[in-house]
Amino acid sequence: MRIGIVCPYSFDVPGGVQNHVMDLAEALIVLGHEVSVLAPADEDSPLPAYVVSAGRAVPLPYNGSVARIAFGPVSTARVRRWLTNGDFDVLHVHEPLTLSLSLLAVLSARGPVVATFHTAMTRSRVLAAAQGVLQIVLERITARIAVSALARKVQVEHMDGGAVEIPNGVAVAKFADAEPLPGWPGECGPGTGGTVGFLGRFTEARKGFPVLRDAFVALAATRPGLRLLVAGPGDPDDLYDQFPAALREQVTFLGLVCEADKARMLRSVHLYVAPNTGGESFGMILTEALAAGTTVVASDLDAFRRVLDGGRAGRLFPTGDAVGLREALSELLDEPAGRATLSACGDQVVANFDWPVVARRVLEVYAAAIEATDGRVIDQEWVGLG
Amino acid sequence: MPHMWWVVAASVLVGVLAAYLIWTAGRVERLQGRAELAARALDAHLLRRAAAAAVLAERRFGVELYAAARVALDAPPQEREAAENDLTRQLRAVRLDPADPDCAAVIAASRRLALSRQVHTDLVRDARSARSRPLVRLLRMGRGREWPRYFDIDDPTLVVPADVPAG
Repeated sequence: MRIGIVCPYSFDVPGGVQNHVMDLAEALIVLGHEVSVLAPADEDSPLPAYVVSAGRAVPLPYNGSVARIAFGPVSTARVRRWLTNGDFDVLHVHEPLTLSLSLLAVLSARGPVVATFHTAMTRSRVLAAAQGVLQIVLERITARIAVSALARKVQVEHMDGGAVEIPNGVAVAKFADAEPLPGWPGECGPGTGGTVGFLGRFTEARKGFPVLRDAFVALAATRPGLRLLVAGPGDPDDLYDQFPAALREQVTFLGLVCEADKARMLRSVHLYVAPNTGGESFGMILTEALAAGTTVVASDLDAFRRVLDGGRAGRLFPTGDAVGLREALSELLDEPAGRATLSACGDQVVANFDWPVVARRVLEVYAAAIEATDGRVIDQEWVGLG
Repeated sequence: MPHMWWVVAASVLVGVLAAYLIWTAGRVERLQGRAELAARALDAHLLRRAAAAAVLAERRFGVELYAAARVALDAPPQEREAAENDLTRQLRAVRLDPADPDCAAVIAASRRLALSRQVHTDLVRDARSARSRPLVRLLRMGRGREWPRYFDIDDPTLVVPADVPAG
């Protein structure tokens, strides 16, 4: 099948949507499909062979952060040329409701269009005011995919339509085969040692880092050799200032890490902690930690409970409860067998998120969209084997 | 000549109105056509699932499932939704083994049917909302084509999506 994928955000900056698009494209290519990805990118930036640049992106403030997007007559011309040259069987756009290449592609395309919605935007005033325009865009989309239950809920309640829920994929092999950082995770015996990991913005309240800090400080008092490995954007001083001077040596800060180092970091800890207090739509990092074979301790949020199979694949603790977290950490660090049981179940859970599996499900949506535009029913085997 | 401006303004207005009407008529036609194609695809997937279930029933699980599959295959349009729901219930009542090829065929057919039903519902909704606009009704655009009908059945998915096996 010839598949055209549009990514609204620039490949020059890392981001969840960009990673998703690249992983999906690679998984589809492995399954034997021809894939072309259109995305904004600087002329001289190195791109994978399947990516076509739609020109430089301009930074625009959007939805509380800065999005680098491409929009305007020049971009429109490039989108149309790409569509004509590509002669695709199906067009797959991501986040089509942002002012972006995706929106342009939807408006220029005929035939089967599949759209993936990543963010769970709630009904904004802009959306409500633009309902008529929105309808014209949505009408051109044949099938919709939502990456989380929350994103799907927004579709159903506010955009008057259903969507198929297909989760984000994880490149399981990349995480499972990563080499731990030298010297990590180190010793872990009953009552001593052990390494706990955290990844994300420790300054952002909803990531819940203070909960982990309190639990760590309390546990370190009774457990010598306990270490904390933190990765994510932020100033080292802001992190270390949160800990008593005596404990600072036991805290290691890696700063912002690339995808490869993220995998290594997840392999370097005994327990990965997700102390989030809310707002996570899917919990991508949990599936990545599971893929790395690391035991996960997470707050009892809906999304996390779903990923961790109700607590079979990882330990859940009451959201925001530092005492509960401390107990969970202490118990699991003392008990290698308990960690192994959770990890074994985690392997089963994560197999469902492996990209080849997720890509096959996306292919089924493509088939459904193609059927609804020219009435051809595509054979299951054909779709399955590519 | 001051009247001239009125003539120009009036012709521009008529032009814009005509363009809007042509665009709207095209839109109604396109949405209507798409809903009909989606209905055909849905029909094909319903037949596929029923056929796969009949094949499975001949080998395992026996009479009740086979009867439900036959009824679904032969149901007249007005009884079809009920017959399909009945087949879904029968399929849920038996233990399907994903390792068995006949069972796997039924599971896959059900999954594809679920997608097809989702797409059909969305496209019918779009077509109906376009056709129920006052202007479209007034000018009776899309006449000569039937009103797109929803096909109201329960979600036919048999296994939870997270358990979809590879391949």
